[in-house]
Amino acid sequence: MTATDTRRPPTSSDSPPPRGERAPRVLSFSHKLSRWDLKFSPYLYISPFFILFAIVGLFPIAFTAVISFQEWDLVRNSGTFVGFDQYIWILGQPQFWTALRNTFSIFLLSSVPQLILAIFIAAMLDRNIRAKTFWRMSVLLPFVMAPVAVALIFSNMFGDNHGLVNNVLTNIGLNPIPWHKDPFWSHIAIATMVNFRWTGYNALILLAAMQAVPREYYEAATVDGANAFRQFWSITLPSLRPTLIFVIITATIGGLQIFDEPRMFDNTGEGGPAQQWLTITLYLYNIGWGEFNFGRAAALAWILFIIILLIGLINLFITRRLVRDEGGRGEITPRRRKRVQR
Amino acid sequence: MTSLSSPPLAIIEEGIPNAKRRQRGDRTTKIRGMRAGTWVYIGLGVVIVSAIFPYYWSFLIGSGDASTINDPDMSWLPGGNFIANALSVVNDPAVNFWLALWNSIFSSTVIAASVVVFSTLAGWAFAKLRFRGRGWLLAFIVATLAVPTQLGVVPLYILFADLGWTGNIGAIIIPALTSAFGVFWMTQYLSQSVPDELIEAARVDGASMIRTFWTVGVVAARPAAAMLFLFTFVNAWNNFFWPFIVLDRQSPTLPVALSLLQSNYFVDYSIVLAGVLLATIPLLILFAFAGRQLVNGIMAGAVKG
Amino acid sequence: MNSRAFRRGAVAVAAFSASAIVLAGCAGSSGDTPSSDPNEEITLTLATFNNFGYTDELLQEYMDENPNVTIVHNKAAESGDARANYFQKLGKEGLADIEAVEIDWFAEAMQYSDLLAEVPESAKGRWLDWKEAGATDGDGRLVGFGTDIGPQAICYRADLFEAAGLASTPDEVATLFDGDWSNFFDVADQYKTATGKPMIDAANSVLQGIVNQIEYTYTEPDGTVIATENPEIEDAYNLVVERAVPNSAYSGQWSDDWNASMANGEFAAMLCPGWMLGVISGNAPDVTGWEVADVFPNGGANWGGSYLTVPANGANVDAALALADWLTAPEQQAKTFVNAGQFPSAIEAQSDPAITDSTNEYFNNAPTGEIFAARSEAITVTPFKDANYFKYHDALQNAVNRVFDGLEDQTTSWNTWVAEVEAF
Repeated sequence: MTATDTRRPPTSSDSPPPRGERAPRVLSFSHKLSRWDLKFSPYLYISPFFILFAIVGLFPIAFTAVISFQEWDLVRNSGTFVGFDQYIWILGQPQFWTALRNTFSIFLLSSVPQLILAIFIAAMLDRNIRAKTFWRMSVLLPFVMAPVAVALIFSNMFGDNHGLVNNVLTNIGLNPIPWHKDPFWSHIAIATMVNFRWTGYNALILLAAMQAVPREYYEAATVDGANAFRQFWSITLPSLRPTLIFVIITATIGGLQIFDEPRMFDNTGEGGPAQQWLTITLYLYNIGWGEFNFGRAAALAWILFIIILLIGLINLFITRRLVRDEGGRGEITPRRRKRVQR
Repeated sequence: MTSLSSPPLAIIEEGIPNAKRRQRGDRTTKIRGMRAGTWVYIGLGVVIVSAIFPYYWSFLIGSGDASTINDPDMSWLPGGNFIANALSVVNDPAVNFWLALWNSIFSSTVIAASVVVFSTLAGWAFAKLRFRGRGWLLAFIVATLAVPTQLGVVPLYILFADLGWTGNIGAIIIPALTSAFGVFWMTQYLSQSVPDELIEAARVDGASMIRTFWTVGVVAARPAAAMLFLFTFVNAWNNFFWPFIVLDRQSPTLPVALSLLQSNYFVDYSIVLAGVLLATIPLLILFAFAGRQLVNGIMAGAVKG
Repeated sequence: MNSRAFRRGAVAVAAFSASAIVLAGCAGSSGDTPSSDPNEEITLTLATFNNFGYTDELLQEYMDENPNVTIVHNKAAESGDARANYFQKLGKEGLADIEAVEIDWFAEAMQYSDLLAEVPESAKGRWLDWKEAGATDGDGRLVGFGTDIGPQAICYRADLFEAAGLASTPDEVATLFDGDWSNFFDVADQYKTATGKPMIDAANSVLQGIVNQIEYTYTEPDGTVIATENPEIEDAYNLVVERAVPNSAYSGQWSDDWNASMANGEFAAMLCPGWMLGVISGNAPDVTGWEVADVFPNGGANWGGSYLTVPANGANVDAALALADWLTAPEQQAKTFVNAGQFPSAIEAQSDPAITDSTNEYFNNAPTGEIFAARSEAITVTPFKDANYFKYHDALQNAVNRVFDGLEDQTTSWNTWVAEVEAF
């Protein structure tokens, strides 16, 4: 694209009005090109993504939606239409409601400590430390570990009879914990596995965002006498708002879809004899790939989708209310604009 | 709360004198002043130990023999068998180790690069450009993340079988070329880290959209892009189920190949874990490279002009 | 690196990726075109899991006899992976020319028997009749080549038995356990009284042993579900809960703890089919006390076994049938027994000297070939298993687990199972 020579700030109909006073120039062909540039190039930017996504991303989703209303035979690749029967069946299963309970419990036990810890770790890494690359990359090590190794390690740690944790507990005189029998303790163990894997990951995301906060803000605040905590609360967090929204939404979505860890918690992968740690996605997987009842599994996937949507919206709302946007550079809402002075 | 003056920023462009010689460490030291205290190092130390412990434990077992994992009195010092176990992994005829390694490296690199490119483009548009339907499209993309992917294998396999691409490494790469997660991440990062003033400044200087993207967006996105590359690479690297289904056994990826070490009624975990550690080494090398990209943000300093 | 170099690098990677995608797509997959020339060079793929005993040497023998054939042997790690792969691709493309199917999911595969090629007439009658019957569909087509079966004997720790004051030589132990399940549990009680520790490895292993001696378990051949009303099933459940659970170290098998316990003496006896011998020797390489006794409560029961199937839409169906025929011929089945302990299902193979004379060094040179042949002959009942069998059985195992773990008591757990079954 050739550089156009306009001095006119962007003025498509959706953009905020320009700051400052610049007199509009005379319309010319190059100006028209520039307007097209403005109006249509965004679509060009997103189209590579959407085209590919439509084929390999949307097609499976649409397929899942369609077969959720059917009694689907995987091998014959055909099904009979049954309306909402699959949905109704799932909602009538006590196992579904147990799985829902488990999913929420594990979600809360994992996301909340994880995010708090991630912010904390990111703040530490943001400081001026020696050997930055080493420290920063090593928090990502747990994320890299292959699932089979994670499964082995943690089932050894949380083994009911011979696990490391129970050995330590009995050595200091406490009772061993029934990790694989009691639902609550199984959730703690699984949440530990999840946190182990994902805390470093979230910490680095937050770190990347923190790095983009200009240091001058902190300088100015130090000059004004704000301590580290105050700086964190009033500068760092608001600047991180878009990223925090990202982290919370992805943590919500991921947390409600936890699958690998409960599956690896014992060697049957069924979530426990009384479904103590069966999550919705694990339940879905067992219906789909265990019983090959894909119609039913698809219905469960969409029920989960609706649940995630609801919780995600709630969390989004909470985050936007909690974290003020004062330092951010995102969209400028009219209310905020008045406060920003040039 | 003191009112924040408008942030001074600088773009490290080639035109600035001494730009290249300016040390990053210098800048932050001057700006930050104080070095991090001991508590920070202690805290980080705890984090590191808990991160590395499982690797050490795997190494302990991988350097033992088949009965080490069951041994209640397992020593905390490594045995001497690691090299031997690693060699049996590499030389195992059923595990096409070098081919699988290459397949994994190739597919993961292509996937990660593609995701970064497409996500940065789309993220820039969603974050900084104004167009009709922007909000809805972004919400739609994020919403698709909420659909579990465990069932996606079924229609994907039908699609690829119809195209005749099963057994082909392209079948691994193509479904993973785009990522809703990546778009969401770049959107949020760019909306936070690129102030609108910068774009306006570039436009004022006469840049077209694409040039603005190239000089401002791509530069600003670098840390986030490095992160996204890392994450996507690791996910693609560790992916098991889809490569298992769609590739044939002659040309697998590394996780599928290594899973064969578990094929028997009795599994020798010392070999399995030695294989796991071997498979992690390329990732650690990648970390060393990508980590440098995350050392500092690029946008630091005063805005030009 | 500075931003310009980064941008250049980014462009380079993007270009590389784009061209790589195009190339990868263009490469396409190789598909064999079906040919009718018997001497044409063909490649046959054989897909198994776990360990079928098909060593490279064995396959090389076939390739030497048939120089135009190249065999490629693919293994999946476990039966579960193989199963997911199998049903994902059956009827479409992507399966190997010969696919191994475990008996656990063979009944499910039988629902699609029309997609499998039929076993040649010449091979019929080779196998034990119940093995063949399991692979014959409603139209009388035999679609599976039987590979191994799992006749069960009892493996026990002679040293622990001796310490408990029980008989310890294989012959004596055979007499000790000769009888029904009640007798089996009596011995377990004796062991517990003497040592305070459980004798049995896992309650669900016993459940399997009992249920595998019932002809009609959860469903009848015409499709009626009798699971919850079947008195034999209820008796089996009650027997296991009342007598096996107190005498078992674990509820289920294959956990890390269970693997470790073969070496550390947490239990002293277990039901073992031929393929279990390798598990024991692998998990407890330094223990010398393991022995095999030629006995089983009520004579015998079968646990496990597999078939080879040939997908009918493959590229080389005739050649694949010929290879499967050869692999499951009595001579080859004797060889896989020697290779991997897979007890043959071909009648002739069971009297092959390679089997009848074979001994197992780890188990104190026990004549394992003879033992399992004897146990195989003692099998009187073959349970009818349809596609849903494992769903019901799995849920019943969970019911036992719940009682073992103390989550629910005997009656509540049974009722939970009944409710689950009715919802299926």
